[in-house]
Amino acid sequence: MKKGKKIMTITIGLMAFVLSTIIFIQFKTISSTNIVELENMREDQLTQEIVTQKSQYEETRSKYEETLAKMKEYQESMSTEKEALDVLVQEVKETNDLLGKNDVVGQGIIVTLEDTRNARISAEDLLILINLLNSGGAEAISINGQRMVYDSYIVNIGNDFIRANGNIITSPYIVKAIGNPSYLESSIAQKNIGFVDEKLSEGKSIEVEQSKEITVEKYTGDLSFEYVKEAK
Amino acid sequence: MEKGMSKLLQKYKNIDKSKREKLEVSITIGLLCFILVAAIFVQIKTIKNATAGVGSFLKDNSGLRDELLTWQDNNEKIRKALENAEKNLEEIRTNAISNDTESKALEEELKENNKLLGLTEVVGDGVVITLDDNREIDPNEVLNISKYIVHAEDVVCIINELFNAGADAISINGQRIVSTTSIYCDGNIVRINGKMVGVPITINAIGQPERMYYALIRPEGYLDYKGYLRVMAEDGIKAEIEKKTNIVIPKFEGIYTNQYINNKEQ
Repeated sequence: MKKGKKIMTITIGLMAFVLSTIIFIQFKTISSTNIVELENMREDQLTQEIVTQKSQYEETRSKYEETLAKMKEYQESMSTEKEALDVLVQEVKETNDLLGKNDVVGQGIIVTLEDTRNARISAEDLLILINLLNSGGAEAISINGQRMVYDSYIVNIGNDFIRANGNIITSPYIVKAIGNPSYLESSIAQKNIGFVDEKLSEGKSIEVEQSKEITVEKYTGDLSFEYVKEAK
Repeated sequence: MEKGMSKLLQKYKNIDKSKREKLEVSITIGLLCFILVAAIFVQIKTIKNATAGVGSFLKDNSGLRDELLTWQDNNEKIRKALENAEKNLEEIRTNAISNDTESKALEEELKENNKLLGLTEVVGDGVVITLDDNREIDPNEVLNISKYIVHAEDVVCIINELFNAGADAISINGQRIVSTTSIYCDGNIVRINGKMVGVPITINAIGQPERMYYALIRPEGYLDYKGYLRVMAEDGIKAEIEKKTNIVIPKFEGIYTNQYINNKEQ
């Protein structure tokens, strides 16, 4: 009798041990299956990242070719000094366009936002819109004539009005962006989750219009560094 | 074989009754355990098969990884080539233009413009801000975990506040903020200038240190909102700001495109 009890205890104990070991192994297998799912998600990200890298490469390459072309122009002008000045004037003009010191024209989209009885447009709405248009490749943006430059800001003043670049702007807010119209529009117009539908669901008025010729006004303030000590 | 079985059965019959019952119980339990183990093994095999399927997927992934690495490498090379070309252009330009005041003034303007466009590294006094997710929070214990995570919108608003307080130049984890910068969520990471940026987020800003510091941590007052960092810190996010001298802000690594903009006078 004693012997039978002993055998039984040992059998059960051993089985329990084997079982719990196997269960632990299985838990581990399952949690690593979750990691595999994460790897799956990464594939999306990988594809996305490759697209980003490709477009960055294209942009850099065309800028590189532009730079080479300018070098050539300067070299060819070495004999006639008049032409070198022309190339330089053109270079300065291009940087002024990018900085916002010139009026610029081009195709793009116009987004009109308006306060309604129920909801007001906030500075944050405009900030997020600018940010989205930039992700859609906007080359120049203005809101009610205020050009967005490297140090632009948009803030609420109390509940009454909005200040952009230090100037008061009021509803309707006309946001003009120059760039590829389709890219610009798709950056804000995804169904349901996009910026446009989100604002509509908040009871705000928003309209988007593509245009062949948009003028984005130049910055009227002063563009200079005040606190930068040195630049390399 | 048959002989052995009958011998075993004979032995079994010889055991007294109470002993026999005990043996029966242990055999039953042993059998049950065996069945259970078998079931578990079957399941393990199923899971292994499932993972094997995904495993072949992973092989495809490694192909994508290789492709990505190749593009990153291409980008690195073309960026270096561009940097060299720009240096050469500067030299050639200086040699090509004449020494009159008009040309020299234009060259100066071009240099100044490039500086403002963020195409050079800059140094100055200012503030350094660090933001991090609240890692002490157990996601299962709070209602809204979103409150304890740094969002792209938070970063956008802080940048906006800094420029409102007169900042000259800002970078986030080494990415220079320019007029065409976009900051947005892409899954669980933030993308700035198209580059992936993760927490902790470090924002460097050159400007008037006291003014920027106050703008972000001021208490609520007349016509003034509570400082953005104060709000974030009270909400439980790790948000710190520190005044610093001689902050270095790197140059913009991206490219300004002017494919669509035309000068109005042309």
